[in-house]
Amino acid sequence: MALRFTLKKKLLRDLWGRKLALSALVVIVGIGVACYVAMASVYRDLDGARARYYRDRRLADFAVDLKRAPASVTERVAALPNVSGVRGRIDFAVLLDLPGVDEPITGRAISMPRRRAPVLNDVVLVRGGWFGGRDDREAILNESFAAAHGLGPGDRIKVTLLDRQVDLLIVGTALSPEFVYLIPAGGGLAPDPARFGVLYCPEELLERSCDLEGAVNQIIGTVHDDEPTAIRNTLELIGDELDAWGVTNTVAAADQPSVRFLADELAGLAVTSRTIPVVFLFVAALVLNVLVSRLVRQQRTVIGTLKALGYSSSQVTVHFLGYGVVVGFGGGVAGLALGWWMQTGLVSVYRQFYAVPGIEAHVYPDIAATGLAISVGFAILGTVKSVRHAASLAPAEAMQPPPPEGGHRILLERMPWLWGRLSFRRRLVLRSIFRNPFRSGVSVFASMVSTALVVTTLNNADALDVIVRHEFEQVSHQDVTVVVRDPIDAARADEVTLLDAIGRIEPQLVIVCDVENGARRKRIGVTGLPSGNELYTPLDDRGRRLVVPEEGLLLSRKLADILGVEVGDVVRLRPLIGRRETVRAPIVGIATIYLGLGAYADLGYLSRLVGEERVANSVLGVVAGRRATAELYRGVKERPAVIGVGERRRALDQIQQTFGEVMGTFIGVTVLFAGLIAFGAVLNTALVSLSEREREVATLRVLGYHPGQVSRIFSAESVALNGVGIGFGLLAGVGLTHLLSLAYDTELYRFPVVIAPENLALASALMAAFIAAAQLVIYQLIRALEWLAVLQARG
Amino acid sequence: MSEGAERPVLLSIRDASRVYRMGEVDVPALRAVTLDVFEGEILVIVGASGSGKSTLLNLIGGMDRPTAGAVVFRGEDLAVATDRRLTLFRRREVGFVFQLFNLIPSLTALENVRVAIEIADDPLDPREALQLVDLGDRADHFPSQLSGGQQQRVAIARALASNPRMVLCDEPTGALDSATTRSVLELLLRLNGELGKTIVVITHERHITPIADRVVILHDGTVASITRNEERAAVADLDWT
Ligand SMILES: Nc1ncnc2c1ncn2[C@@H]1O[C@H](COP(=O)(O)OP(=O)(O)OP(=O)(O)O)[C@@H](O)[C@H]1O
Ligand SMILES: [Mg+2]
Repeated sequence: MALRFTLKKKLLRDLWGRKLALSALVVIVGIGVACYVAMASVYRDLDGARARYYRDRRLADFAVDLKRAPASVTERVAALPNVSGVRGRIDFAVLLDLPGVDEPITGRAISMPRRRAPVLNDVVLVRGGWFGGRDDREAILNESFAAAHGLGPGDRIKVTLLDRQVDLLIVGTALSPEFVYLIPAGGGLAPDPARFGVLYCPEELLERSCDLEGAVNQIIGTVHDDEPTAIRNTLELIGDELDAWGVTNTVAAADQPSVRFLADELAGLAVTSRTIPVVFLFVAALVLNVLVSRLVRQQRTVIGTLKALGYSSSQVTVHFLGYGVVVGFGGGVAGLALGWWMQTGLVSVYRQFYAVPGIEAHVYPDIAATGLAISVGFAILGTVKSVRHAASLAPAEAMQPPPPEGGHRILLERMPWLWGRLSFRRRLVLRSIFRNPFRSGVSVFASMVSTALVVTTLNNADALDVIVRHEFEQVSHQDVTVVVRDPIDAARADEVTLLDAIGRIEPQLVIVCDVENGARRKRIGVTGLPSGNELYTPLDDRGRRLVVPEEGLLLSRKLADILGVEVGDVVRLRPLIGRRETVRAPIVGIATIYLGLGAYADLGYLSRLVGEERVANSVLGVVAGRRATAELYRGVKERPAVIGVGERRRALDQIQQTFGEVMGTFIGVTVLFAGLIAFGAVLNTALVSLSEREREVATLRVLGYHPGQVSRIFSAESVALNGVGIGFGLLAGVGLTHLLSLAYDTELYRFPVVIAPENLALASALMAAFIAAAQLVIYQLIRALEWLAVLQARG
Repeated sequence: MSEGAERPVLLSIRDASRVYRMGEVDVPALRAVTLDVFEGEILVIVGASGSGKSTLLNLIGGMDRPTAGAVVFRGEDLAVATDRRLTLFRRREVGFVFQLFNLIPSLTALENVRVAIEIADDPLDPREALQLVDLGDRADHFPSQLSGGQQQRVAIARALASNPRMVLCDEPTGALDSATTRSVLELLLRLNGELGKTIVVITHERHITPIADRVVILHDGTVASITRNEERAAVADLDWT
């Protein structure tokens, strides 16, 4: 039913008369809509770019690492059930020596056909072109890496391939769907493109230089059925088929960190885009309800008059629903604008984190329409209850003055021993609170939600800090990690790594193993630690150092849960290299690890499993000073056995820098939003309370009260309600922190529950500031109130 | 009953009672009232406060239904009509004027009149309606910018605007001083004389009863008497002391 023109005018003028309260509401609705629209749109921007990228570049569904196999094995793999495409390639760990960069950089050289062909795991050329010179010593460089070092087509790069350093001409730069989230080995959480070098080289060059003539060391492929279990079965078949060529690892694409990080991010985004906005809009609906029910009460005679004039109940209903519609629509439109701004901001953050071409902010009409519909829907929801009641009144009844508003005694008044002691102002406050239980409840709820939001965000930021400190300061103590290609005698580690002269060293051995408990199985890298380990010290859940047992394993909590084992249980352990015998390994301890799935064993124990005495494939070292470090780097660059050097400090800095910035913005925006919600809610409820009690205010003013003294009655009410709200909010925030740590519990990372008292204090202080700001507005209104006019008005 | 004499009956109340339920207690506001309203007459209802005047007027105007009895308008019993029917009845047949004017404060005089016009089938021009009440020049003023008498005249214009058969006034001069009261009453008489509207007026000011064709006295929810004035007095002849 269409609203009549004149009633529309009335609606707009009434709204204008309440512009303060309404704009506060529009802001709350707008924030809700903006969060929804921004997150839902970014989800699509990112998911769309990802899907296009994976499809266009034919991202493989699996990869199988081998020691060495003839190129023809691809045919045997292709013949296996469920396999739809196969490609054999060379994927070789290399060291890159860049001019002007002291430290050697770990990289991967990956073979590509000399002539461009639509292969699996294809790349997108960004600059330059494909190979084609007469000399095949050419490389296409990962664009993110090239950009980080200012390299481009025409430059040259020195690469240590197997045992020789070769000088390659960079012909182009490219991005690959395989390497979207560029975390260098041991880097933890934050992408570090400058330390993640991927170069694509002509097949012939790699075959020659890596001693793999006519051979490949990796099979990648696609499948028909890409369900996780189907892929797992297929990988098992392939593993058996290629057993003779020394399968060292099999990975489904979904388990690759790069794919996984992006997928986890998208999953998280999908959940957040559906929860956070609902909470905001719900608060808006509640506050709107408070406002509109007041408005309807004020306009009771108007309703009666309209009905007397012959307006039907539904016409009256539609008119008053208009308040909700305008707030919802106004908030919706504001939300779309704010949402677009947030979306472009988020997109640029994602661009910085994920090397996916074509992450662009798009406007999605359906999301915008849904956002509008949701906001209008919520706003109508907030209006409909009070309106339906008013519209259903018989016109004669509506003309009567309303039954006195909550003139009854509140419960406390029936406790004379308590009530009698309260001052007159306290009584006014308490009466007002308890006579309007719904409004009071909304106040409490709104400040609770806002507080909880701030608490959770602050806790979350601290949790990230705890993770980083735990992994990079409490568990790891080395300065550098030097990784070698093939296991070396642990006793001679110092010679190989040149670390002897430099400081304390400690060998490590990482072996990819299958760990099984009944039907549960996980393939992971087990780290062998020497007894008396000092540079890498796994901790238990209370932060105490765990002693690595002579036999058996320490598992991370997450891995133990995945396998369904506890201390004292026995798992089956089978290394993927060496004799590949299955042994029974007792679980001796559970370690607290936040990044990845860790498993630890004694270095000797693990060495014997692969048929050696005491071997190592990485060495941790403490390096004293910059000169020593430079010396180390120089030496390492000449050691062909070394394929990587990682710096603990750099990984730590990188994480703190990247996430620090994003976290800072995120905290700022959250605090702002939470504050605006609290501010808007407080302002609205106080305005309603003020409009109901105008006479009371006027009377007090006549009696000689100063505006400040009068507004103290109102602020006392606000302080009481919001104090309770903040209190509940702190509790809810603590609860939410727990919930989030349950939600962010993936194989890649886990969030510990961090509840810092100073966060609770800070959140309370912030909320108090926003509430005080709202009080200031109310104070101004009380000062400006024309109390004489109020008293003279007929009521 | 023959008080109506030559005029046809417009609406009749038959044995109508109205009981308000107040929690546990029943408050009988009207007890078996029977009354005809004749076309084109001026009917004044008087009675003590709480005697049921407003309740009766609400029944006449389709604002409320009796608890028992009938309200017959053109053969239709409004006591059992649907909300929808009552709404249409009010829209087409009735114009209300209230003691406190009940103008919509956020609308101008003209817009207040328009509110009624926009749902009417055969409305007057809103400016014409305002001119009828001599407020053509105040069309764009908001109620707060008008005096009480002017506001009440806007309310009358609004009641007229939908061109109803009946204009029902609940203490239309209750909030006005005597000079303004006079102009409002003059206006009502004019509506009756020039436009042939049936006018029902509630008042507790006994001295204005001579302007009526008939005077109904309510007492404690019953009709105590119905008297007919052989001759209607002009407003100027009323006793204003
Ligand atoms: N909505 C209601 N609920 C309960 N009782 C009511 C209601 N409306 C009227 N009454 C009661 O019905 C009786 C008649 O009321 P009504 O308003 O008709 O009297 P009135 O003659 O118009 O009085 P006044 O001159 O004061 O306007 C009174 O006792 C009144 O208290
Ligand atoms: Mg009355």
